[in-house]
Amino acid sequence: MFAEEKLIPVPFDVYRFDPAQGGEPRYQHYELKLAPHTPVLSGLLKIRDEVDPTLALRYSCRSAICGSCAMLVNSKSRLACRTPVGPEVAKHGRVVIDPMRNQPVLRDLVVDQRGFWSNYRRIEPRLLLDPSRPMPEGRPTQMTPAQVDRFRETPRCIACASCYSACPAVEADPEFPGPMALAKLYRFVVDPRDGAHDERLRKVQLSGLWLCLRCHLCTEACPKDVRPSERIRDLKELAVRSQGATERGSRHAVGFLENIAEAGQLNEMKLVRQTDGLVGTVGQLGQGLRLARKKPELLKKPRTIDGVEEVRKLYEALQKDEEVPL
Amino acid sequence: MRFAYYPGCVAQESGKELDLSTRYVCRALGIELVEFPNFSCCGSGFLDEANGLLNVALNARNLAIAERAGLDLLTICSTCQGMLTFANRRLERPEVKAKVDGALQPLGLAYSGRTKVTHLLRVLANEVGPDRLRSMVKRPLRGLKVAAFYGCHLLRPADELQSESAEEPHEFEDLIEALGATPVLYRGRVLCCGFPILFVKERTANRIAGRQIHDAKAHGADAMATPCPLCHISLDSFQNKAEREVGERLDMPVFHFPQLVGLALGASPEELGLPRHLVSTRSALEKLGSVAVPA
Ligand code: FES
Repeated sequence: MFAEEKLIPVPFDVYRFDPAQGGEPRYQHYELKLAPHTPVLSGLLKIRDEVDPTLALRYSCRSAICGSCAMLVNSKSRLACRTPVGPEVAKHGRVVIDPMRNQPVLRDLVVDQRGFWSNYRRIEPRLLLDPSRPMPEGRPTQMTPAQVDRFRETPRCIACASCYSACPAVEADPEFPGPMALAKLYRFVVDPRDGAHDERLRKVQLSGLWLCLRCHLCTEACPKDVRPSERIRDLKELAVRSQGATERGSRHAVGFLENIAEAGQLNEMKLVRQTDGLVGTVGQLGQGLRLARKKPELLKKPRTIDGVEEVRKLYEALQKDEEVPL
Repeated sequence: MRFAYYPGCVAQESGKELDLSTRYVCRALGIELVEFPNFSCCGSGFLDEANGLLNVALNARNLAIAERAGLDLLTICSTCQGMLTFANRRLERPEVKAKVDGALQPLGLAYSGRTKVTHLLRVLANEVGPDRLRSMVKRPLRGLKVAAFYGCHLLRPADELQSESAEEPHEFEDLIEALGATPVLYRGRVLCCGFPILFVKERTANRIAGRQIHDAKAHGADAMATPCPLCHISLDSFQNKAEREVGERLDMPVFHFPQLVGLALGASPEELGLPRHLVSTRSALEKLGSVAVPA
């Protein structure tokens, strides 16, 4: 038997909006009494079932598996079904509920996920087999533990879209496919059975891979520790290795690598030339001169660090090596 | 307190005002900075994308140099902080460590993993502490509303960086308060400045910066402050372009974190390199009254 937990007052402020009815979004206040371990979702269902049947929300499994109940709880991305009310009340005095971001609100806490799913479909989330390497018939394919280890995190994804909601690149640029789609893509790129690795990497470079800001907000938001930002990093390195410095993003990364081999530290203006080429650099001239008036260092070569030859030796030792999973 | 000082590339060149103000603050607070002219760039997140292992190895060299001197490493840039800490974490994996050891050995270097990496903001928050800092303030920044802008790599990924609260940090705001100013809370304070794609898709980067500045302003900030010189580039050097993207005049002074501390400790704007900013800090200085505002 569990000791009986005392009920605590739980003030809820829930985002309400029905575009069909017009009007402005608002917060509706509800007072509940709940045990501190009660999940936020159970609180919301209690509101819907006992107080206000018009509250719209998505949920299904109530066990952190289906990924339907992602929302903002006191401004943080959370699965409502596994976030207890007690700590929220202790910290914030109330439970403020908002719908996820970066997806238009259909009603209350229900958002339109078409953008999220179409980005997912765009990465072709299935094994693309190479006809010249057919799957063995009548017996299972085999992978080494090291090969399996490369995608130990991504299968945990429950497509809850918390990462998509938290992503500032999604917010600012429709070209960016979002963290979940890219983490899923990574899963196929490192799958030894997939036959389209290079083609996948070529395509994703053209469809927003290099717009990832590596801000790690997705990794922080993910309730399943899929760590999308780290997998996107892996994808970028794999893309550079497979395709070379073909796009602005990869040119910038490879330019950076070459840039610091020279002096051991960054030559800022030179990097602009490496990424933009001559024509692009001319386009940047106005801003460059504007900055250089205040920051004249931009116009001269940076100091070369002591022991720069050590840096170059590290390059020689490691640059040609195969990629090491990080 | 004594540290291996890791200024990072930008603070030695176009962001010299950050180095200037760091030295002022450390002198005033009795923090000794030991210099290592052989430190290299941290890779800034870009090298990591081109070759992850090389990035770890480059930083292992920096960490080994500090370890040989028996010093912990002090950064003044959120990105340097993130990259050097990331290297420490990855070197905990035996496969990575073996490869990197193999590359360091011919250089006569070895790294055992002992160098701790800390940021000036953390030293002031946790080692000096807001109370002692408050007692050393000569010119309280009273009346100034300051929006902290943390910089992603000081906070995230929280487990890798062992930062206490990535979602709701307060150490920066605690320090702003200790300096006599009023911290402004706004959503953008833990978000991204856009810098990593400034050279990939400039307008998107500008738009992201513009939104954060707009958010700070909408919450009443007189100025922003950041512990990251890359954020400073996005927020200050490219604020003119951010304004174009968000379609409004922002006019937001952006301080490097140590400049704000230096002001409260009595430094003049020139000693802190404030005239080097693209967006004038005049409006913020005028609020303080007691500072001689440079022409
Ligand atoms: S209801 Fe299924 S994950 Fe929460």
